[in-house]
Parts: sequence; C-alpha cells; structure tokens
Amino acid sequence: MAVLELHQVKKSFGSGHKKVEALKETDFLANRGELIAIIGPSGSGKSTFLTIVGGLLSPTSGDVIINGENLTTLNEKARSQIRLREIGFVLQASNLIPFLSVANQLKLLDKVKKGNMSKVERNQLYEDLGIADLLMKYPSDLSGGERQRVAIAKALYSNPSIILADEPTASLDSDRAYEVMELLKKVTKQKKTTTIVVTHDIRLVDYCDKVYKMTDGVLSTALENHTRVQHMAYEGKI
Amino acid sequence: MFLAWQEIKKNKLRFTLITGILMLVSYLVFFLSGLATGLANLNREAVDKWNATAIILTEESDKSLYQSFMSIDQLNDIKADETAVIGQLNVIASNGDSKQNISLFGINREEFLMPDVTEGRDFKKANEVIADDSLKEEGFKLGDELSLSSSDQLLKIVGFTDQARFNAAPVLYTNLATFHQVKFGDAAKQNKDQINGIVVQNDSLSNLTQNDELTSIEIETFIQNLPGYTEQKLTLNFMIYFLFGISSIIVAIFLYVLTVQKISMFGVMKAQGISSYYLSWSVVAQTFILASIGTALGFAFALVSGAFLPAAVPVSFDVTVMVLYGFILMAVATAGAFFSVLTIVRIDPLKAIGG
Repeated sequence: MAVLELHQVKKSFGSGHKKVEALKETDFLANRGELIAIIGPSGSGKSTFLTIVGGLLSPTSGDVIINGENLTTLNEKARSQIRLREIGFVLQASNLIPFLSVANQLKLLDKVKKGNMSKVERNQLYEDLGIADLLMKYPSDLSGGERQRVAIAKALYSNPSIILADEPTASLDSDRAYEVMELLKKVTKQKKTTTIVVTHDIRLVDYCDKVYKMTDGVLSTALENHTRVQHMAYEGKI
Repeated sequence: MFLAWQEIKKNKLRFTLITGILMLVSYLVFFLSGLATGLANLNREAVDKWNATAIILTEESDKSLYQSFMSIDQLNDIKADETAVIGQLNVIASNGDSKQNISLFGINREEFLMPDVTEGRDFKKANEVIADDSLKEEGFKLGDELSLSSSDQLLKIVGFTDQARFNAAPVLYTNLATFHQVKFGDAAKQNKDQINGIVVQNDSLSNLTQNDELTSIEIETFIQNLPGYTEQKLTLNFMIYFLFGISSIIVAIFLYVLTVQKISMFGVMKAQGISSYYLSWSVVAQTFILASIGTALGFAFALVSGAFLPAAVPVSFDVTVMVLYGFILMAVATAGAFFSVLTIVRIDPLKAIGG
C-alpha cells in the first residue's frame, strides 16, 4: 500500500536566467515497510527531495500525497500537524535537544503529540533501540551511535508512517554507521514504516530495499534487490 | 513550561546570572519605592493624621500654609461639619544637647487636630508641647526644656505622639496662646486672633466658603503643593519607571542572545512538527519563571535589608505598592521575551536541517 506518492513534482528556485531547477519532474512511490535510499553527490537535489516529502518545502508544481492527504493543498499549520503525526525525522546529532535527558527528549514529544504511545509500547521501543539504560543521560554524555539511536527513537515515537533520515550516519564511523542502518532496517520491518534515507554513503545501500540515484535534480528509476556490485555497476564503476 | 523548566534546571549558572540581574533590578525598584514612600511620609504624615477633607487658606498664599495669614474670626465664613484652626511656624529647637528643625503647630486642644499621645500627657498649660516621637532618636525626651531660634520662649515636652512630621520636620503641638507667644513675642496680644489656616472635615468639598479672600484646598492637593514634595516624588518615580524599562531591556537582550544560540535547535524542533506557538510559549514561560524568582528574591532582600537600616534612612515599605511594582516588573520582563518570540516565529526549519 502506498504511503507516500509524488506526482509530477518539480521545484525550481529563482527566475529568468537565474532559474535553477533543483528537482525536475519527479514521480515517486513508497510503500509501507520499505527502506529506501536516495543517493547522490552534494547539490544533486537529495535534500530538496527530502524537504518536499517532509512538508518543509512546497514544490513549484505537482502533488505530494501522504496517506491520501495532499500536502501541497495544506497551509503551514496543517503541514506542521502532518509532520508531527505522520513523519519522523532522523537528522545528524543536532536533532537532540542538549538540555533534555533522553527520557525528557521523548517526554517532550509525548507532550506535544498528546501522548498516543502507551507505557508498554514506550518501554518496548527503549528495549528495541537499546536505549533503556540511557534514559537519564544528556546528549553530551552519549556517543555518536547512542545519539543516533535516541534520534531514531524520537523519530519512531508515536508511530509515524514515514521516517525521513538525512545523512543519519554522517558523523559515525563504519561500525556505528552499520549499526544505525541495521536499526533503521529493523524498525522499518517491525513497525511497517516507510523509511527514506538520503545519503552519499554508498556503503549503506546494502541495507535498503530500493535505491534511487539523484543526479542534477533527476531521480532515477528504482534499483530493487540490488547488491553493492549492482549498485557499482549502476554507478558505472564496473 | 516543561521545556522552559528543563532548560533552567540544566543550565543553572546561565539562568542564575539572569535571575541575579533581575533580582538586583527588582531590589532597586523595591528599595526606591520604599524610599519614595518613606520620604513622602516624612512630608505628609502629620497631615494624614488630621484625617481631614480640606484646608482653608488665604487666596494669596499660593496653597502654602506658612504663607497664609488669616483671622480666627474667618471661621464664621466656613460651612463644614468639623473645623479646626491651625497656626504653623518653622523654628529650630534645642534641648541644650541637640538642635533640630521643627514645625510648630498651634492648635486648640478640643479640636480634631489634637494628636493622640503615645507617651506622657496632653499639653495643658502655656509653653507645654507634645512632640513627634522621632525627636527621641535625636536625644529629646519628656521634660526637656526647648529653647527656640526665633523666640525667648522656652517650651517643655510633656508628651510624645507618633507619625507627626510635616514637610520633613518633626512637629511640636502646642496651644494657640503659646504659638502666638513664640511667633509674635511681645506683640502676641495684638495678634491673638492670627492663624495660618482652618482644617475641615466635611462630606463635600464644594461651597466650604463664600469668602473671596479664602480658598478651600483638598488635602491631597495641599500635600502635593508642600515644598519639594512633588518634585521629590516625581524624581523617585521616574527612577522606578526607568528601572522597569531597564529590566525589560535586560531580559530582552539576554533572551534574544539565548534564542539566537538555539535557532538551529528550534528549527529542528519546528521541522519535527513542534509549533512556533509551543516554542514561543516556552520562552515566555521561561521568562516568567525567571522574572518571578528574581522579583520574589528582590522583594525578600528589600524587606530584610530594610529591617537593618538605621532609623535615619527614611525607608518605609508599602507592601501593596511593592506587590503592584512586583507584578509590573514581572509583566515588563516577560514583555522582554517579545523579540525572542518574533525570532522563533521567523525561524525556517528548512534552513535548520540544511535544506
């Protein structure tokens, strides 16, 4: 079942001869339980894609539909509600609030989302993500990997339909990066969310169900059941 | 409130500094308000003691009791429920050890200007006086014989009364005959009908007198026209109002700097769907918490330090005024969060997540 649909979505900045098409006409479909990677170099339009999908940026034209609701017809307040309800963001370490303990990071979401997660579900989430022992710690006390585990917990809090991860492993070493991707894969399958990871780190694509490549604002067709070799072939490296 | 309080708890030093500054500002406000009340009392407490509606002075006196000269016969021109005549003179009194500027009130014992005696007894004979008890701190005591700067008369303190200062000078109450002796000396007999004013207690202020040479002045207006009273009050009030502005600006600057430091964090939170309203409310709540703590501490310190001040410092805390000023301080400090709220509303979550 399609959770996210993009129809003929375009985004351009500026006008006249200064006009830049950051995202060219794009169609995209993501189903429940899929872990999708969008790869590409810096400036290729990955972040534009992610921010449009996340309702942070309005497309110049086209429709973005999340669970049947067209984001492009909504005002900022309504989009903000959708973000709160339907979308979980995993960014770099900066998405943790420095003065809140891990428990309070999640309690804050509980307050603004009016708490639709039971205590049992919450404890299960802590167990699943291995953060039960970190609840009283502050972000500055956590390692990079631990921070991202908490960030994923925040994204998963209140059971969103979509998780958008922007370079979630950028500040991590290889082992930690794989650990985070394992975790994203696990929660995607367990909770049947749709997870879209934007990255330029090709080591991560092995964990994904589909891989799209973004080049100069053009999204490629999906590579399914890929392997690293397939990906590298797609890259033209072999 | 949750976010606001958690941040305060985590960054204790930072917020203690802000609270400390607010505490000092509020302390200064409360202290100045105490000083304003104390100085005002110094000028007006003897008049407040009259519990009067108005005072009748001559038209040409320009609302000054000292400059008003009338005859006691003019009492017949006054229509009021209660009247009391008063003669007033500024002199320097000495008991041999101490000298003090005093205000001598000549009154009739049976009229309502007669003060309650807190120590000693009423004046009964010529040259007996009841003195304001602040004179005791200057070394004056019951039985002291006072020599006066402008008279050969000697006055004897037979009683004390409380809260009886007029235009910053302690009052000596005596009968009219003694007052005339002090004021006119050998010419006292010829001037035995001379008084300075007539104090009235009446339900209405209108039509107290039809005499064109006299004017009725509401007591509050009379006080406002005491020499230096309004100027002093305005100066201190101006300082207090200025401090309200300063506290607002201090809070605005501190919070704005803190908010700017947190723009990226707020942006991420907005990207996650947390509304500008929630974040703005958090900053306002935080300011309110800091302002409340700072003001409460300032309030407490003002009262504590007031208790240890020497009696010569004219500080008198009016708790009602202090509470009012406290609320104003909290309100203006909270208003200082306005710029931060504006900043939060303008944060683009897209920029915060590097889009």
